[in-house]
Amino acid sequence: MTQQSIVQLRNVTKTIGGKTIINRVSFDVYGGEVFGFLGPNGAGKTTTIRMIVGLMKLTDGDVLIEGKSIKSDFEGAVKQVGAIVENPEMYKFLSGYKNLLHYARMYKGISREKIDEVVKLVGLENRINDKVKTYSLGMRQRLGIAQSLLHDPKVLILDEPTNGLDPAGIREIRDYIRRLARERGMAVIVSSHLLSEMEMMCDRIGIIQKGKLIDVQSMHDFVSTKGELFNLLVENPQEARTKVLEHNPSWTVEVLEQSLVINMTKEDIPALVRFCVASNIDVYGISPATKTLEDRFLEVTAEEGVASNG
Amino acid sequence: MVNLIRNEWMKIMHRPGTYVMAGLLILAVIGSTVITLFINSSGGTEDAAWQQQLQAENEQIKMTIETGENDFYVPSAEGALAINEYRLDNDIAPNDRDSMWTYLENISFLIAIVGLFAIITASGIVAGEFSWGTIKLLMIRPIARWKILLSKLLTVASFGIVFIGILIALSMLLGVIFFDGGSAVHLTYANGAVEEGNIVPYLLKIYLYNSIDVILLTMMAFMISAVFRNSSLAIGISLFLYFVGGSATAFIAAYYDWAKYSLFANTNLALYEMGMPVVEGMTMTFSVIMILIYLSLFIVLAFTVFTKRDIAA
Repeated sequence: MTQQSIVQLRNVTKTIGGKTIINRVSFDVYGGEVFGFLGPNGAGKTTTIRMIVGLMKLTDGDVLIEGKSIKSDFEGAVKQVGAIVENPEMYKFLSGYKNLLHYARMYKGISREKIDEVVKLVGLENRINDKVKTYSLGMRQRLGIAQSLLHDPKVLILDEPTNGLDPAGIREIRDYIRRLARERGMAVIVSSHLLSEMEMMCDRIGIIQKGKLIDVQSMHDFVSTKGELFNLLVENPQEARTKVLEHNPSWTVEVLEQSLVINMTKEDIPALVRFCVASNIDVYGISPATKTLEDRFLEVTAEEGVASNG
Repeated sequence: MVNLIRNEWMKIMHRPGTYVMAGLLILAVIGSTVITLFINSSGGTEDAAWQQQLQAENEQIKMTIETGENDFYVPSAEGALAINEYRLDNDIAPNDRDSMWTYLENISFLIAIVGLFAIITASGIVAGEFSWGTIKLLMIRPIARWKILLSKLLTVASFGIVFIGILIALSMLLGVIFFDGGSAVHLTYANGAVEEGNIVPYLLKIYLYNSIDVILLTMMAFMISAVFRNSSLAIGISLFLYFVGGSATAFIAAYYDWAKYSLFANTNLALYEMGMPVVEGMTMTFSVIMILIYLSLFIVLAFTVFTKRDIAA
């Protein structure tokens, strides 16, 4: 991964009618990575994205794209951005090709060959001359991506890119997004409420809540907590918990339905099994337990919610 | 800019509404032509001797001038009298209703239909992008917002020109086919003398005068479309004013002087030629200035609001 910062948000703030919607959000997105933008509904994801692409003006702060400010050099900055903001809304009465032609005309030097190339890339060759109103949501989504790649941008911003796609389509788009980041060194910013989707797609995530960026981490660090978690399926969890804590008081042991969730390392397993056998604890299974992004996300946003509510 | 206008035209040409409008305009031209021909053929006995008619008319005009009947505007009556006498002296027959020129002059009322369609187009051209949601993909291009808006304004202007073109071309064609050549001499009365001129510049002036309120209201629709991003509002307000603005202003003008500052008191420049301004004391210059003020007001409003406001739709 090339660690070159392509998108820089610096204290981005948006105030509407005296109410601060986005409060001093700063983060960087690097070339070659997929950056996931997460947050509950109304947290300010879309507002932030709209400010990055220049649809909304910044009250304070700045967005730099390849060093060019969206405020002072809109045309220079936005030239490097391809985006779908919310749904990929197209001119339904035009064919897919004419839609692409329409946007291609708004840049300098996009040839017909380039349009054909992009059409092929998203696999719409067979339907590109049909009117968009006959397209399925998945096809529109692909046309949206085609539209955002016409001018070979350095930055790709996709709001809910897998919205409305079937599982095969989701996978296809996900692989495709990852490939663009890897092969072309693009900085990709993705927002989604499908957390499992984000987990598979993103290298890093930023979590926004109530207009504040509360966490930016690599996906790996974010999902796995320190050490590892294992599930121990036992007959009587409450009783077993006390005994296990006697065995090693430094562990954190939680009861989850019929199992114990223990914070320990893989090397601890044989000793624990021997201990259980010796202490008459019936063990039905041991399996590694990772927290899902969903668990972590709810955890983090709940902490913040409590903190900010006082 | 050329590419942007091509884009706008591409969007216009791919919507059925455009063809419906063009079709209705063509139907309206053909319809009015048929009706004109029908009326002309139904009562055609009076065109025996135009000299006698003109003399009779002159007698009448003289009487009105002498008696000072009602509010009859004396200078225009004198003009009519002078022109009629000039015709008699120089043996220039007035164009009767079978002449192509009279037909072309009368059919200029169909500019109102072009105006209607121009208002509809102007109302949708910005607001449509908002209601389709395509505005978001349109405005993230490396093109300043004012350029996008300007391209849309120029597209509306060219749309109006194309439709006026259809109107003129079609009515000229029908005029040549179904009407007499008539006389292309146009007489004007100025400074106590009658002058001979060609009728074409006169017709162009009639078309231009008829277009002024259309242009202003189209600009207003465009402004509302850009400011409020709502095409129904733009169509509603503009068409409402288009249909009632003139008569409402005339009504107000009968009681209050300030009516002369309203848009509609100034759009009919032909009134000055006839010598009957909406409010006493208004001049052609005043009206032209008012028209320019209104036009710039609409343009400034449209461009400032459109370039400043966030796109949150």
